[in-house]
Amino acid sequence: MIEELRNKARELLKTKQVEAVIGYQRASDGLSAIPCVIRSEEEAGRLIWDAACVYNLCGYLKDFRAKKLGIVAKACDVRAMIVLISENQLNRDDVFIIGMECCGVVDEKRARVSGRDGSDISSADKCKSCASCVPLAYDCLIKEKREKAKVSEDADKDKYEPVRKLEAKSLSEKSKSWKDEFKRCIRCYACRQVCPMCYCPRCVADQFMPVWFSKAGGIEGNFSWNVARAMHLAGRCIDCGECERACPVGIPLRDINRKIEKDIKELFGYEAGMKTDAKPFLACFDKNDPEDFIK
Amino acid sequence: MTKFIKKEDLYKLLNSFLKDFEIIGPKQIANKGIFYEPLESIEDLYLGELFAIEPAKKFFLESSECLFHSGFLDGKATVQDAPLPDKRRIIIGLRPCEAKGLILLDKVFDSEYKDRSYINNREKSVIVGLACAKPDKSCFCTSMDGSPTGSRGMDVLLFAVEDGFIVEIYSDKGKEAFSSLGKEPDEHQNKTLSAYKQKRSELIGKNFKVPGDLSPIFESDYWDKVSFPCLSCGVCTYLCPTCHCFELVDEGRKMYRCNDGCAFSNFTLEASGWNPRPTKKERYRQRVFHKFDYFKKIFGENLCVGCGRCIRHCPVKMDISEIVSNAPSGAGK
Repeated sequence: MIEELRNKARELLKTKQVEAVIGYQRASDGLSAIPCVIRSEEEAGRLIWDAACVYNLCGYLKDFRAKKLGIVAKACDVRAMIVLISENQLNRDDVFIIGMECCGVVDEKRARVSGRDGSDISSADKCKSCASCVPLAYDCLIKEKREKAKVSEDADKDKYEPVRKLEAKSLSEKSKSWKDEFKRCIRCYACRQVCPMCYCPRCVADQFMPVWFSKAGGIEGNFSWNVARAMHLAGRCIDCGECERACPVGIPLRDINRKIEKDIKELFGYEAGMKTDAKPFLACFDKNDPEDFIK
Repeated sequence: MTKFIKKEDLYKLLNSFLKDFEIIGPKQIANKGIFYEPLESIEDLYLGELFAIEPAKKFFLESSECLFHSGFLDGKATVQDAPLPDKRRIIIGLRPCEAKGLILLDKVFDSEYKDRSYINNREKSVIVGLACAKPDKSCFCTSMDGSPTGSRGMDVLLFAVEDGFIVEIYSDKGKEAFSSLGKEPDEHQNKTLSAYKQKRSELIGKNFKVPGDLSPIFESDYWDKVSFPCLSCGVCTYLCPTCHCFELVDEGRKMYRCNDGCAFSNFTLEASGWNPRPTKKERYRQRVFHKFDYFKKIFGENLCVGCGRCIRHCPVKMDISEIVSNAPSGAGK
């Protein structure tokens, strides 16, 4: 697959179909990947493809507005692009999607916090409920030729089971458990920066007059920050899991986002990024939308 | 002064300190990692191999603290300094890199300028460090003039050995707390300690030299290339034992000093709307120059202790040690 990918990148650059290709290269530790941009055929040899290619690269597209770019994309990454296109943040014509058939990515953070050195790394949680290894949209597809690892055998199970378990807890249990999580939040905003759907040029969290999410004492500000971000992602989050992966202090952010995702799916039958022509969820209505809340 | 103390006896001693001191040490939170917390029970103390995610810096230079508040007293406007905490603390489990970080922060907050709350925190704390048994692949303290068994900034340093710790006591504060305990180490223990000290530095994989003067390559497009993956988040800055930039925020009638980072896109956004560091290139270059050029030229040492947190926790695995060691020639010696 790697050679096919590199050759495709070379071809795209040689024929000037794209100005650059955004992909992954090997990180300094020899195991992980690091995002990279390739601007010439000679550099294409840097591109890699394996289970370390965790990151969602869509965030780098905004560095190159109005230029045509190639991008190495997994199925989850393409869902993010579908949402960005529906929100007019990306022109479909400006991006050449090199779709990668993905068998799952690793969760090196889990290995690290338990002290293993990375040689025994399990598949990320988000991959276990992934319905499809093949992206929904692409300009070319690089298929997996080896025998596939069984990453989506759980795809038929209820992916919201962990959310339901949390919902079933009592209010005081939930309150205590979230307080314990949010007291560790250091407001690094890694969750926001890594999220493909967080693209506001000036985030509400960065505004001063007034300060919307205080950092002054207590954890109210941490609560409001995390909940506000989840609400801003309602109907837009595609569960790429990057926020939870990026969080240095291990806050289970996917639990919050998936709760909202589940509610929207069950109430409105809508899933972000699954249909290339879908309109943004909160930007439109359907006459069949449930109205039980209006009495 | 050097002593040997059994693990149970160390824990007993710390227990006895609980009434007079706040004891802050690493605690393991399942599936999340190691975090420094005020300990209610010494049983929660983690003195194993894994590194705390956040360094102990936040107990000295707080992530968010009230500096002063304004109000009215007897019809007159007043500004009052926020009260300073009185309680003494033992901060245990710091690694040599973190303690060295405090020495570097002292150069900013306790020299020509004396920061009231930082100095109070320093004075009220006894620093009981833990020498590193197992550096990981992100560590590079030895390239920053440090060592996994370094004692700079420590009042006391613990070396984990069979069934206990060898305790080296360096300061009066340390003596006051620890001299009553344990016994002289025996010959075997002394040998173990020497071997420990010798071997630890060999476990550090990264080794490089920082160029003496980066200013010749300030305009290089090297910074465009290496800054590409950066997300402009605050992980490297907030987890760094030496980063100390802050913002002042007025909330109600209280003035707060909160941590801030040069990686954030609006760190240098000015009231006019102009931002002199508009892209990742300028911001990442700033991070490298502050740590490995400006600070060194003013204070004589790199503003980096090689703890590796920025590499270990960067969401996109950027590696500042590689970036600095690969800086193009043109950088002066």
